Amino acid sequence: MFQNAIKAAVLVGAAWTATAGAPAIGERMTYPDFESQWRNPTAGRGGNPWDPAKPMGLGQQAPLTPEYQAIFEASLRDQAKGGQGNNYQAACVLSGMPRIMSLAGPMEMLVQQIHTLMIFQNALPRRIYTDGRDWPKSTEPSFQGYSIGKWIDQDGDGRFDVLEAETRNFAGPRALESSGLPLHTDNQTIVKERLFLDKSNPDILHNEITTIDNAFTRPWTVDKQYVRERKARWSEYYCRESDTQVFIGKEQYLLSADGKLMPASKDQPPPDLRYFGQSQR
Amino acid sequence: MLFRCSIAAMAVAAAMIIAGMPASGNDMKYPAWDGQWRNPTANRGGNPWDPNKPMGRGQEAPLTPEYQAMFEAGLKNLENGGQGNSRGTRCELPGMPKVMNFSQVMEIVVRPAITYFVPLHYPTRRIYTDGRDWPKDEPPSFTGYSIGKWIDEDGDGRYDVLEVETRNFIGPRVFESSGIPLHKDNRTIVQERIFLDKENHDLLHNVITTIDHALTRPWTVHRIHLRQQNPVWPEYNCREGNNHVTIGTEQYFLSADGKLMPVRKDQPPPDISHFRQSQ
Repeated sequence: MFQNAIKAAVLVGAAWTATAGAPAIGERMTYPDFESQWRNPTAGRGGNPWDPAKPMGLGQQAPLTPEYQAIFEASLRDQAKGGQGNNYQAACVLSGMPRIMSLAGPMEMLVQQIHTLMIFQNALPRRIYTDGRDWPKSTEPSFQGYSIGKWIDQDGDGRFDVLEAETRNFAGPRALESSGLPLHTDNQTIVKERLFLDKSNPDILHNEITTIDNAFTRPWTVDKQYVRERKARWSEYYCRESDTQVFIGKEQYLLSADGKLMPASKDQPPPDLRYFGQSQR
Repeated sequence: MLFRCSIAAMAVAAAMIIAGMPASGNDMKYPAWDGQWRNPTANRGGNPWDPNKPMGRGQEAPLTPEYQAMFEAGLKNLENGGQGNSRGTRCELPGMPKVMNFSQVMEIVVRPAITYFVPLHYPTRRIYTDGRDWPKDEPPSFTGYSIGKWIDEDGDGRYDVLEVETRNFIGPRVFESSGIPLHKDNRTIVQERIFLDKENHDLLHNVITTIDHALTRPWTVHRIHLRQQNPVWPEYNCREGNNHVTIGTEQYFLSADGKLMPVRKDQPPPDISHFRQSQ
């Protein structure tokens, strides 16, 4: 009888160990079903507005300060003349946060205990740390910033529903969309996000993004929606300058059919060639 | 006693239920590869394809005479200040198998259907382990298309080895920055056996065999990666801070003050005849 009791205890213990000793499984079960390929349903259809409910450019009605509204309008004028304005993507400068969350291409999410990994087809990977860490004191600023997140069980059912993330520590220049809608050059941006599945359709992922930036008169919140792609396909994307464009520093030129430099805008001066020997010019 | 037997039976049942949980069963089978891995010899003056031999000619790559000549021409061009066969300075993708030299840190994430190799700035490599066949309509790429199979080599109920085959490439690709070339027909097949070191679970082995028409025989190298305990993920953009400028087929340097410079002695400046004379 005593032996049976011990056996029972061993078995109960084994059962306990099997559950308690397998943290990855137990903990993964508490996360929402974010692991998938997600697409912006409107990307690639002629622009990717920051607020998807409004047209790009001036139609965004961005709450810019007068100084940054003037910078934005100057950028629009430059683009109208064939320039890049505040949009440096053609030179393969990183889009950074929060613009990458417009999902110009598909994104995959992998939820892990330490961080949630976002793998973008058209941008560098992003990590949102959810291990309770504090803001680092000595991390280099970056275009994507540093993201700390927290999982929330909003309805108390024992499963997390919402990933809240805050991102700081930026480098620039960054713009919110290709129209050149600017963020402040002080790079003191704070981006807050709430990511959660749609309650009536778990194939829709919401991302409520609030951007706090000194270029704005108030925090600016937009609601982006991503659509789950169950038959994921991936293209190999790597930013390279177009075969017809050349960037010398941030100055853009065109390449003619015969492989020679051409001006990209009217009256653009040629590049400075002072480092070449006089006799070669 | 009957009561105690019932308890025991319930415990057995509970244990069986737990054992039968599909998610846990699957998870328990995979080796612990998750984390950041680096090449312990990267950034120490070159990254030879076979880490046991010096770069360049020292690799003794089994090249066909045609591709040996191409390699030698690339080396000569490098000696003259050119880029040789390597296109890394143009920020073009290294592709497979070179990307597995871990020139920069890489994150590995294992899921039952896909194992992910996530480099700092190159496209993520997905190794499909869901039993799929080679796709018929996949566009070729520098990274190729990878299908893998998990092996439980010692029969202990846990997978030990990931065997991978990768095909469907575009190019040009080279093995290392010295410019050891792969064949331009892009019919490379890369086979890998990836496994943790039995003694040290922070070492990951990758035995890589490359079958390519530029080679006289399959070429196998054994690479080892080291797990980082406190990973830091820097942001790296090949274009940012890249001081190489390509105009047509010519390479130039960008000076610290943002002006064009020659990369070799007596290199002529670019032709600017399309700019207005008055400028």
